[in-house]
Amino acid sequence: MTSAAANTNILVFACRWCGLIGADGAGRRRTELPTSLRIIPVECAGYVEPDAVIRAFASGAAGVAVLGCHVGGCRFNDANHPALKRLELLKTLLDATGIGGNRLLLGFGTAHEYHQWADTIRDFHKHVEGLPSMKSWLPATQ
Amino acid sequence: MNPEFIRTICPYCGTGCGIVLKVEGGRAAASYPDRENPVSRGSLCVKGWFSHEFVHHPERLTAPLLRKGDAFVKISWEEAVALAARKLRETADKYGPDSVGGLSSAKCTNEENYLFQKLIRAAFRTNNVDHCARLCHAATTVGMLQTLGSGAMTNSISDLAGADCILFIGSNAAESHPVLMGEVYKALDRGAKMFVIDPRETPVARNARKLLRLNPGTDIPLLAGMMRHIVDSGLHAKDFIEKRTENFDALRTFLAAWPLDKVASETGIDEATIREVAETYAKAENAALVYCMGITQHACGVANVIAICDLAMLCGQVGKPFSGIYPLRGQNNVQGACDMGALPNLYPGYQGVADPAVREKFRKAWKADLSDKPGKTVTELINAAGKDIRALYIMAENPCISDPDVNHVMEALQRLDFLIVQDIFLTETAKFAHLVLPGACFAEKTGTYTNTERRFQLLHKAVDPPGKAMGDFEILCLMGKALGLPFDYASPAEVMAEYAGLVPAYAGISFERLERAGLQWPCPDENHPGTRFLHGTTFTRGLGRFVIPDYTPPMEKPDAEYPYYLNTGRVFAHYHTGTMTRRSAFLNREIEDPYVEIHPEDAAALGVGPGDWIRVTSRRGSIVTTARISDRVVKGSIFAPFHFTEARANMLTNPVLDPACKTPEYKVCAVKMEKDHEAKAR
Amino acid sequence: MLDLVKQKAKEILEKKEADGVLGLRKGPFDVIHPHVFTTPAELDALVLEPKWLFAKMARSILRAKPAAYRLAVVLRGCDERAVVELVKRSQIDRERLLTIGYACGAEQAKACLCSRPYPEKLDAGEAVAGVDPFADERVKAFLEGDPVLRMEKWADQLRRCIKCYGCRNSCPICICVPCKLEDDVWVERGVIPAEMVSFHLIRAFHLSDTCVACGACQEACPVGIPLMTLQLSMRAALKKDYNYEAGLDADRKSPVLFDFIQEPRPGQNVPDWVDSTGKKP
Repeated sequence: MTSAAANTNILVFACRWCGLIGADGAGRRRTELPTSLRIIPVECAGYVEPDAVIRAFASGAAGVAVLGCHVGGCRFNDANHPALKRLELLKTLLDATGIGGNRLLLGFGTAHEYHQWADTIRDFHKHVEGLPSMKSWLPATQ
Repeated sequence: MNPEFIRTICPYCGTGCGIVLKVEGGRAAASYPDRENPVSRGSLCVKGWFSHEFVHHPERLTAPLLRKGDAFVKISWEEAVALAARKLRETADKYGPDSVGGLSSAKCTNEENYLFQKLIRAAFRTNNVDHCARLCHAATTVGMLQTLGSGAMTNSISDLAGADCILFIGSNAAESHPVLMGEVYKALDRGAKMFVIDPRETPVARNARKLLRLNPGTDIPLLAGMMRHIVDSGLHAKDFIEKRTENFDALRTFLAAWPLDKVASETGIDEATIREVAETYAKAENAALVYCMGITQHACGVANVIAICDLAMLCGQVGKPFSGIYPLRGQNNVQGACDMGALPNLYPGYQGVADPAVREKFRKAWKADLSDKPGKTVTELINAAGKDIRALYIMAENPCISDPDVNHVMEALQRLDFLIVQDIFLTETAKFAHLVLPGACFAEKTGTYTNTERRFQLLHKAVDPPGKAMGDFEILCLMGKALGLPFDYASPAEVMAEYAGLVPAYAGISFERLERAGLQWPCPDENHPGTRFLHGTTFTRGLGRFVIPDYTPPMEKPDAEYPYYLNTGRVFAHYHTGTMTRRSAFLNREIEDPYVEIHPEDAAALGVGPGDWIRVTSRRGSIVTTARISDRVVKGSIFAPFHFTEARANMLTNPVLDPACKTPEYKVCAVKMEKDHEAKAR
Repeated sequence: MLDLVKQKAKEILEKKEADGVLGLRKGPFDVIHPHVFTTPAELDALVLEPKWLFAKMARSILRAKPAAYRLAVVLRGCDERAVVELVKRSQIDRERLLTIGYACGAEQAKACLCSRPYPEKLDAGEAVAGVDPFADERVKAFLEGDPVLRMEKWADQLRRCIKCYGCRNSCPICICVPCKLEDDVWVERGVIPAEMVSFHLIRAFHLSDTCVACGACQEACPVGIPLMTLQLSMRAALKKDYNYEAGLDADRKSPVLFDFIQEPRPGQNVPDWVDSTGKKP
């Protein structure tokens, strides 16, 4: 893996009813995945506040993925629908600043099969790796 | 009761932003930016936004206090004023008039400063009056007097927006004069080029085209190198030099001793950069030189200021709009305190104590005999405490945190026969007093402050002082009367009328005119609109003089025992000795703990991580503070904000003074560091 | 227009419809500052310039007063929209607040890049046409064109931030106690510039569906960061995707937080699945 790839940190919020199943499956099958990847399991994608996504970028994540169940299939009474709407709006803000909404991957109902999950993540990683660094927006070492 | 909205001026820095205080039920409840203030135009920094927070703090002094043993007991104003007057009078009678001294306040109003220096001079026939400008821009007053004839900022803050090139030297205005940076950024948006000369990568530097990270205290070689290159390239303003200046040949000779390779080796800045900055400055149509403590707080502070003036005159960048020399005055009214003559060698309006004609003028006006001997400066007054100086009257100043080598200051104050401290809180200095007088803060008085661009601005009283505390104007009137002076002023406006009558440059200024808008002196008559920039047709002294700066490298450099450079200064959320900001909930939460900035490599070598407690020691003293790992400082240097009473940077600093202006060398001394193994539990 | 506003304000006090009128007073020496007028005679000194916004001040006055107290406020368009947003969040009791709305002039609309320079309840003045902020050159420079260049442009601006909190303090909607920006779990304390990502994007996003484009943030910023521009894209997205504009209708809450799919609004499109990379599963 190139050092650029290793430095492309991806943070994944995966809802344990859908997104995490794909992650778990991929892990079980030892599917090849980028190493600079961290997964945070959440009960529901609706649990992921946009501020946490913002904080992830502030802490050096190059890309953030939020994976949940398909809209209409949320275990928690459609909580993922407002989550989706909020995060779409956050993408708009990221686009406005030039950071790029494409650093935020939203997969609702698309990543519960292990191969889907792996493909999605690998493609996302590759895509983010090619993006220019956000360094100018991050604090100089303290 | 409905809320009232009162217009006043910020009590923190010399930018002089306008604040509208919301008063509810007799309390200052909120601060809003005053949209009509020409300096701040609807903005404030974080300190201004929370300027009301400390006003009603429970620790406000509410009654005069007399020391009995180790405790203070409350006494009445009658007792307090009578005692103060008696003790000061007895001291002067026993040890002579020059055994008494006063430290005036750069936080108090012009009217209060004028009364204070008049009291000391007229009641005791001494010139032992000074204030904290000694610790900061005294070098400016002395240096600019020699070169230009006037020690004040030559242009207005708004002129910065029109500059094409801005040089910052030893100024971290983004933290010490934040709102002023707005004008700088307007210039940058127009394409202006900004360079920063500072050993530290400050927030200003991060927004500049280039940072020249020079070795500490090597400003004169750098400025000399720039001037040398400008002259060698023929970029100097020949016409201006010929018509408006004198002594250029001496400067040429001086510059011959500073070829660029020598400058590069002395300063640590490469020749190409020196050339680039010099050429950009010289070629700019309008170029501004902004400087602050990084220039003045050195053992060669006066010489540093002189070098700056030489450079500006060399390029003809004084005496017109959008250019000039900008010494950024620190305190909200330090410009005013100087203007009002709270200085040992100058009367109000910078008229000399030693000049017989001037002395006679003031003698007549004040109906009192006056001393012809310049008095002692702040630093000298403290040093002489218990020896030549037996009694001190300190108004709203806190030398136990702000003076260098504070261990020595505390010892000195204890040697006094009588110490009066007038302040709003029981400060570290007040704790040594025999008598404490409770004064008023900015929200509790009507009067004027003069900001760094010479602008008189009017404050309006918004709330009453707490308990029995009194406005400093009222206190000084009582003290004056107790000392036999006719201090029967009905209001501060009358005080202004008096000093306006004695200083031609302030003659056109009155409270009534100031109600509508601030006025920049010189303002010689009541129709004059105030003066935006100085030295337009001639310099205050006539011709500008190229004075030769006497370069003195730092007096205490790192060595084997004390291997790090210590630099001291300010941060954005606190102000000076923290008397007000550490008692403001919001500001104190923003920055709660004392810290020093340490370079990551130095931290690693010491085994220190972020937030760890460390002990920093110099030849003067030692403090325990936390480590902030940062590459703002270079390896081998640390930076300590001086706001924290529990870890006073001035325990460490070197009390060596610039011989010409008596300002301490706060910016350079040597320290050692180690991890603090008896770290207190957090 | 000013005379009409004064007249309406006086009527309100005379009829005791409110106990005070919040507006600007021109006092002695022509000094202008906010004031709560309590008598019709005082209202002779009412003025409408410069641009002070009163929504937040009205809220704090009402909170400090007993429940029976009613306040009238002299408002321009954006101020009224801010009041509406505060009403939506139960911060101002509609029953206790009366408004006297007046229209801004064309110059003011241009200066603020305001698309709606008049209140919905217009009591005085002629409404002028709004200005399209997206047509402004400076806005375009920050919102259109190569994203990498724009990312650097924004960073250059945000690096000037002196963390005065003026944007937050002056914003009429920012009333949260405690404020997340003060929590060092979210935003690093004690350093300037304020963290570009955490401080500025959290702040901007918190206002995403409630910003009324009053410009107070931008006007309070000492260093001229185009803060209002930061909000414009999100406002446009809400308009496009949900036909929603903050501050217009006190009974319509934010579609981002409400409008659940169980009760979709007419015409609302509820997707079955979403993949922002555009791939179908």
